[in-house]
Order: sequence, then structure tokens, then C-alpha cells
Amino acid sequence: MTKGVLGRQIVKNLLVFLVAMFILSFAVFFIASYAPGDPLQSFYGERVEQMSAEEHEAARHRLGLDGPVYVQYGHWLANAATGDFGLSFKYKEPAIDVIQAFIGNTLLLGGVSYLLVFLLATVLALCCAMYEGTKIDRAIAHVGTILYYLPGFWIGLVLLLIFNVNLGWLPGSGAYSPGHAGDILDRLEHIILPVIVMIIGHLWYYTYMIRNKLVEEARQDYVLLAKTKGLTRMQVAVRHCLKNTAPTIVSIMAISVNHILGGTYVVEAVFSYPGLGKLAIDSAKYHDYNLLMLIVLLTGAFIIFSGLLAQTINAWIDPRLKVKGGGTSWTIRQLFGR
Amino acid sequence: MEPKPLEIDNLELSFTTPYGEVKAVRGVSLTLEPGEILVLAGESGCGKSVLCKSVLKLLPRYARIKSGSIRLCGRDITHASEAEMTKIRGTEAAMVFQNPLTTLMPSMTIGAQIREALRRRHLTPEEEEAESIRLLESVGITEARQRLSQLPLAFSGGMRQRCALAIALAAQPKVLLADEPTTALDGTIQIQILDRLKKLRDERGLSILLVTHDLGVAAHIADRVGILYAGRLVEIGTAEEIFYDPRHPYTWGLLSSLPAAARGKRLTPIDGMPPDLLAPPPGDAFASRNPYAIAIDYEKQPPLFDVSSTHKAATWLLDPRAPKITPPESARIEPFDSTKS
Repeated sequence: MTKGVLGRQIVKNLLVFLVAMFILSFAVFFIASYAPGDPLQSFYGERVEQMSAEEHEAARHRLGLDGPVYVQYGHWLANAATGDFGLSFKYKEPAIDVIQAFIGNTLLLGGVSYLLVFLLATVLALCCAMYEGTKIDRAIAHVGTILYYLPGFWIGLVLLLIFNVNLGWLPGSGAYSPGHAGDILDRLEHIILPVIVMIIGHLWYYTYMIRNKLVEEARQDYVLLAKTKGLTRMQVAVRHCLKNTAPTIVSIMAISVNHILGGTYVVEAVFSYPGLGKLAIDSAKYHDYNLLMLIVLLTGAFIIFSGLLAQTINAWIDPRLKVKGGGTSWTIRQLFGR
Repeated sequence: MEPKPLEIDNLELSFTTPYGEVKAVRGVSLTLEPGEILVLAGESGCGKSVLCKSVLKLLPRYARIKSGSIRLCGRDITHASEAEMTKIRGTEAAMVFQNPLTTLMPSMTIGAQIREALRRRHLTPEEEEAESIRLLESVGITEARQRLSQLPLAFSGGMRQRCALAIALAAQPKVLLADEPTTALDGTIQIQILDRLKKLRDERGLSILLVTHDLGVAAHIADRVGILYAGRLVEIGTAEEIFYDPRHPYTWGLLSSLPAAARGKRLTPIDGMPPDLLAPPPGDAFASRNPYAIAIDYEKQPPLFDVSSTHKAATWLLDPRAPKITPPESARIEPFDSTKS
């Protein structure tokens, strides 16, 4: 791939990204503005009710809440373009600062869940595909399906009851014990239960998708030649079938980012885990628009970015995808410019 | 005495399906001699591919050997486990398949695919590279060194089949099984691949069991030919015996439907369809399509009668009490003229 093509690709992706972000911010801003409730309430609390009409107007003006909604959006957009995302009404701090305290927690919980879900899904899918149609395959399918349909919040509560309330083995809320903010082991201890809930809720869905893809792959002709070579069943499954399924798995991983991120929001609520999800729900509840906008934009940027990343990784795993793009040469060395 | 490369004794193999038991192979016995090319021919569904794959146990789980035995290089592998088969595959016997376009792993370079098979021989990386190049050259691929780093999609169908052949031969098997290796290729390439197989036999003493529906392929390459019908071996003999002195009415039918035999006349097809192997008919499975069938054909399965020490055919016409029938004129083939093909 030449430099010119790569450059065009980056510019194109960047444009797609900007347009998507603009549409997203526009939609969220308008929906939030027309939702019932008064953002002043979250900023001033009880005092709002004692304000005079003039004071009310002045307060609205200070917070950029006066005028028609499209004007408000214009203000917000102009400020956001310079990196100023405004004050959080509830925390009375710049929205960016508020988010910084929460985002790490969500990234830890979501990241660990995400990796474990796909690691386990791939391993289980391999088990199923290698023993397709046998008792092992069917047992995994049955257990998986049952767990998948149990509601996450209920599993969360049951786990809390067993491991926190009755056994007292694991902490039941928060991201770390008081005074242990920098202790990574303590943080990991706090995410064990939330991660288990995440895995139970998502695992089978992805296992099933990967399993079916692998089973399809195992029916390909090249598998026969691979077996003829004297490769073991495991070697055929991992080196050949899994390798050819990898682009699909990466694509599934990319489109599942929002799925798993959404899952953390529910889990954070059950375990009172201070993360973006809890923050997003609170900011919607308190009409904390600036904070809400920032969270939505961050989440959106993250999801769009992961989609673009998946595209790149796929082309790297399966060189054929690049060749189809109009290349003339087929050696790996030439494809990667080495 | 050196053990035969492959001995199949009275093999019965069935597929368990939701509709019942499909009897794909019904009591086939054959022996592959060292350095011999034995071609099994028959129409679609006669069990030739199944027979070939059963030697390496590449059949799906629902295929089951019901009785009989398979001996590979003197070792009984009838009930060998997957782990035992893994050791045998590649080193004792290897196989090439029908569709060259899908037979190679698409996202792995040819070199890597050959190296996987070479790993069995515990060579150093330099030796592996040299051996890979030698293998590719031995199947007729030029500029082998550059070819090693290319993906299968850089190769044409014929070249992919050659690569598959190189992969199959990498671990130095004694027996090569070939399941319609030239069916998907055009005529010129077919001849090239078949000649290559002959050369490999001559150079390495490879024993080859080749399965095809194309009697032209059999005529070109075979030392001996076996004719399969509805899961049974109906006739087997040297190539000369099968082509110039066929004894089974089914073989007559096959030869009559060859363009080479018709020579300007209309082709004579075999009427009717092969029987349903869910419930094979009693007697000779070919009887209902056989214009020369006699009453006993519908009742009792004919045994393999000896025509000569190498030639056998399963038809009641060879019984001393049967009426004497001369093969139809359309099944007569002029002696093969190698300069014309």
C-alpha cells in the first residue's frame, strides 16, 4: 500500500468520524433540551424556588440556557470546538474534570470484561466446534443459553447476596476501599463480581457466533488436506480454522464495543460502581446537559474509533482483504512493504 | 514378504442418516501392490470417494465401518483412533482432493503450508526451505523459491493441485490416495498432472490409488482398473483386460458411453439410475439397468468370478451355466494409440 492511499484513507476516516460526531451531538442536545425538568434545579438546588424572575433569567443566561435551542447548541458547539465543554451543573466543576474521575473505572471494568468475554468465547467456541454435535457441544450450548437469558441485574443481586452479604468474601460496592485508590489489587477485587455478571450476560452470544463460524470453516475443503498432513485436530482447529475466522471475530469484537459498554452501565448501577454509566444516568436525571453531552460524545467517539481500528486489523490478519482492494502483488513481504 | 501398501478386505461402510442407514460400501476387497497405480472408476455415488477417504479416516462422524478391515503398510487401521491416525496420515499415506481451488488454506503462504507438513521430518529451517523448493520443483512448479512466499490465490487451478500434491508428498508417504485429482482441471492440465503422478511413481516407488469417474483418466495412467457400482467392486483387472476384454455388463455400458468408443456414432448411454443405497435391491444391484440380466441376477448377488489370475468380474454371465453373450459392438475399443491422444 502506498503512502498516498494510506493518507487518503486517514482523511476519509477522519471526515466520517467528524460528521458522525456532529450528528450525534446535535441529536442528543435537542432530545435532552426538550426533556421535561429544569437544569437550574440541579445547579442551585432548593434555592431555585426562592429566586425572583430576574434572578432566574440571569442564572439561565450565565449557564447558557437562554434563547432558542439551536442558539444554545451553537454556543455549545463553538465552545466545544475550542475544547471547552462547559460546567457540570451538578458538580459545579468543568465537565472534563468530573469525567476524569470516573472514566478510568469504566475503562478498567469494561476492558477486563471485554477481553475476558472474547477470550472465553473463543475457547468455548473452539471446544464446541471441535466436538460439534457431541455431548460437550450440546452441554455448553444449553448452559450458555440459560445463563444468557438470566437478567443481568438479577444475577448481580444474587452474587452480591452470596459473596458479599453471606460469605463476605468480596466487596459489594464502589471501585476501591477507602484509602486504597492507588492499589490495583484492591481495584481488581472490586471488579470481580461486576465482571462475572458481564461475562455471564455476554459470553454465550459471542460464543455462539464464533462457534457457528468455526463449524462452517471446518467444513471447508482445505481442512481435509490439513488433516492429511497429519496435523492434530487441535492444530487444524487453531492454526487453520481459527486463523481464517479471525477477521470475523475481530469484526464481531468491534461492533460489540457498544454492546459491552452498554452492559457496564447496568452493572455499574447494580454495584454502585462509580463509572461513566452511573455518571451518565445521573447526569440525565439531573439535566446536567454539559456532562451528558461529553459522556455521549466520548462513548460515540470510542465506538466509531473501534470500528475503524477493526478494519485496519482485519486487513493485517487476512492479507486477501488488501489484495482485493486493487493490489497487484501477492507476497506478504510486498503487502507490508518489508 | 514385504507387506502390501494397502489391503482392503471385505469392507462394509455405512452412513447413519435420519432416513436410515446408507450402505455406501458393500463388501469391497482390493489390494494395492507396491509401486502400482490402481484406478477405481464408477459413476457418482458408487462409493469410490468414500472408499478412498475411509483409508485415512477422513469421513464424518456418522460414517461407520461395519465389518471388514483396512490394512495400511501391514498395519490394521480399521479401528485406529484419531491420535493413531494423526501419526499415520502424511507419513504412511497422504491424499489429494478434487477441488484444487479450495484445497489449500487461503490465508497461509504455500511455503508455510509445506513447512507444516515437513515438520514431521525434524529438519533445520535451512533444510526445510531447501526441501520445500525441491518438492515444488518435483511437482513441476518453476521459480519455486519466490513461490514459497505467495498465497494460494496467486496460483492457477492446475498449479494449486500441484502444490497440494507437494504438500501431500512432503512427509514422504508410501501410498498416495487421489480423489478425482484432475476432475476440475482442463484437458491439457489433466494430462500434465497425471504424467506427474506417473513420474512420481517411477522415481519414488509410490503406490497410488486414484479414484475417478473418467475412464479416459484410467486409460492414461492405470496399471490396474477396478469398476465400482453401488458400493461394490463389480470388475477388476489390468488396464488391458478392462478396456479390451471387459466381462461385466456395467463395464460394457461404461465403455459404450465413451466418446472414444463411439467414433462418429451416437453415444450409447446406460439407461436408468443407480439404486438407492438406503435399501439396496437383492441380487445384482445393476440388474434393473442391465439388458443382459438373467433371472438369478434379481435374486442372488453374483460372486467375483475369476476370468484370469488378475481379472475378476461379479456377474452371473461368467457362471458355466449362463448363456454365452458377446459384448456389444459399441463397447469395443481399438487398441490404444498413444501417438494420437
